[in-house]
Amino acid sequence: MMFWTLFAKECRQTVRSLIYWLTVIILSLFFFSQLGDIEITGKPVKGQEDYGVKYSDDEQIIMENTLGRLAEEYCRETYSTYPIGFHKSVKPDKDENRRIGDILEETAGIRDRKVIEDLMAEHYNKGGVIMTGMAVRPVKGLSYEHFQKLMQEVDDILGGGSSYAKDMLKSNAMVAMTYEDAMEEYDTLIEKDWLTGGYARLFCDYMGIMLAILPVFLAVTRGLRDRRAKMQELIAVRKASAAAIIVSRYLAMVVMIMVPVLVLSCFPLAESIRYASEAGISMDYLAFAKYSFGWLLPSVMTAAAVGLVLTVLTDTALGVLVQGIWWFISIFSSMSGMGGGMYGWNFVPRHNTVGNYSGFHNNFAQLAANRTLYAVISVALVAATIWIYAKKRRGKMDIHGKISANRKSKYKA
Amino acid sequence: MIRASKTEKGCGYMNTEIKIRHLNQFYGQKQALKDVDLTIGRGMFGLLGRNGAGKTTLMKVLATLLPKSEGKISICGVPVESAARIRSMTGYLPQEFSMYPNMTVYEAMDYLGVLSGLSREERKSRIPGLLRKVNLLDDRKKKVKALSGGMKRRLGIAQAILHNPKVLIVDEPTAGLDPEERVRFRNLLCEIAEERIVILSTHIVGDIEATCEQIAVLNEGEILYHGSVAELTAMAQGKVYSAEISRKELSELKKKYIVTSMLTLGNNVMVRFLADRTPFESAHSVEAGVEDAYMYLMRGERGEE
Repeated sequence: MMFWTLFAKECRQTVRSLIYWLTVIILSLFFFSQLGDIEITGKPVKGQEDYGVKYSDDEQIIMENTLGRLAEEYCRETYSTYPIGFHKSVKPDKDENRRIGDILEETAGIRDRKVIEDLMAEHYNKGGVIMTGMAVRPVKGLSYEHFQKLMQEVDDILGGGSSYAKDMLKSNAMVAMTYEDAMEEYDTLIEKDWLTGGYARLFCDYMGIMLAILPVFLAVTRGLRDRRAKMQELIAVRKASAAAIIVSRYLAMVVMIMVPVLVLSCFPLAESIRYASEAGISMDYLAFAKYSFGWLLPSVMTAAAVGLVLTVLTDTALGVLVQGIWWFISIFSSMSGMGGGMYGWNFVPRHNTVGNYSGFHNNFAQLAANRTLYAVISVALVAATIWIYAKKRRGKMDIHGKISANRKSKYKA
Repeated sequence: MIRASKTEKGCGYMNTEIKIRHLNQFYGQKQALKDVDLTIGRGMFGLLGRNGAGKTTLMKVLATLLPKSEGKISICGVPVESAARIRSMTGYLPQEFSMYPNMTVYEAMDYLGVLSGLSREERKSRIPGLLRKVNLLDDRKKKVKALSGGMKRRLGIAQAILHNPKVLIVDEPTAGLDPEERVRFRNLLCEIAEERIVILSTHIVGDIEATCEQIAVLNEGEILYHGSVAELTAMAQGKVYSAEISRKELSELKKKYIVTSMLTLGNNVMVRFLADRTPFESAHSVEAGVEDAYMYLMRGERGEE
């Protein structure tokens, strides 16, 4: 009884806070700029100019496209890498260039710059839209394993983060889709994903980026509000248990953030409903809600819990810094898996496409484990917060006091 | 420690009593409270002492905001370690406090009422009455940030007795109030103390003189005096003198005696000071006040005559 009244009061406070509306505005701006003009891709028609591109799983294609890229970059003596997500041009020295030349010769059988330039001219002067990079055939008898090993060596020479790293090789194999490919993808979307599944994943992909950081601001400002309003002691001496105080706050934050998320998901949902009724296909009306809760909720929970625990522990905005760093690292380390299916344990799993159902389907267990892990972590952090709060309100843990006392004594000295 | 015989009046109420036995409190190496022994009954109890004497520490220990280092404390029969039970029967008004600035007076009370476990009906019936008592009913829709210092203090009292606690602990409540507000505030506390224990800490002697029957004087963590105000005053009886002297003589007098007040009259000064016997002819003995008695008490602590 007391808990739910407290919860309602916390929600009310949240609605009246500036930081909440800033969060809602940022979330909405991000949504409309990235997904606002979302259009349901209709059924492919034969004779279309192009059907889009896809990443191939074919080892031969991966090798061809990777070697094509390597030949081009070797020819220019400049290599593009993304060590922490940002672009970096690498110019290797003479010895390193010679070694890369050796590798190119061993794998593709070419090293003469003139020959490569001719190949490039041939590829890029074909006319029409060039959607994919140059392909160079590997030498006969080159095993995929040996190819991987040599490419990794190139990546090491370049200092990492290049297109030749083992888990990046697939991203080179972008090939144009045929009508059959496009048809298959469409059928999967309609039959297995009930139209909305694919769009819900794309929605989660974008929103997940923002929801992995925004809740921390709400949690930190809520935590600091007591101290700023000089209300800590008035609350501490009341009958309410530490659990009731902390959990009502936490739950209010999480619920109040999920509300705009669900509201925003109504836009692509409405678009899907419109398309489904026009095309006469059945769809999953609840996909956006299901994905939002399964995929996004753990992110919101974790970011809010990190903010909450560090604010209660230190009475500072440390949570913003910690979550900010974690967010930054997560975003960039998950970039290689942007196409979906490579979720791992990353805090911000990516799936930046409506397609790749198989990537999702085959790795669903990993994604579920990933999301469960973060949900469990956030529950543990909330439990820790309750414990810390109970200690602090009894004066048994005064970290902030100690910090300011130290500052004072230093100041005096 | 000087202990006057304890008046039993006000302590007869069964189980409305705070017992503090051999309380020692440490902050690291520093000892903030030294072997404090106190029994506090119903009514107003004043805790007097200089800034830094340990008053706030003692109050925080009673309000469960600080764990006690050594000793025994029970409030109405409940040991202070049972924080949840203590919290439901004590109200606390810290020295420095405020409330969420964007809440209205009523909302702030309602919020704290929920935290005290009051039901919707209880809050609805109690809050308007309390706001009337502290003269804030007409301001109930005002935002907390728009309240004056005095209004905030009164709201502070209202929130502290919201859950009808048996004990009210008020730390330096009159600091920063203007004289009129101070008097009103004292009267309010007296009214509240009719039904419960009110512990009031202050470094302003006037606050205690006007309201408290029982007092304790704390100095450097030790109880210097515990008893009634009248008995404290009696201790200084016959030791307070008044004289009209010239300004030139003032510095000489100040060196010898503790001056408790003075009034300039042209070239002369009317001084009130402490002395064990008649110091000079023109000085005549006057009736001691609480302030004189307090100064007399503290004199011993300063190692003065």
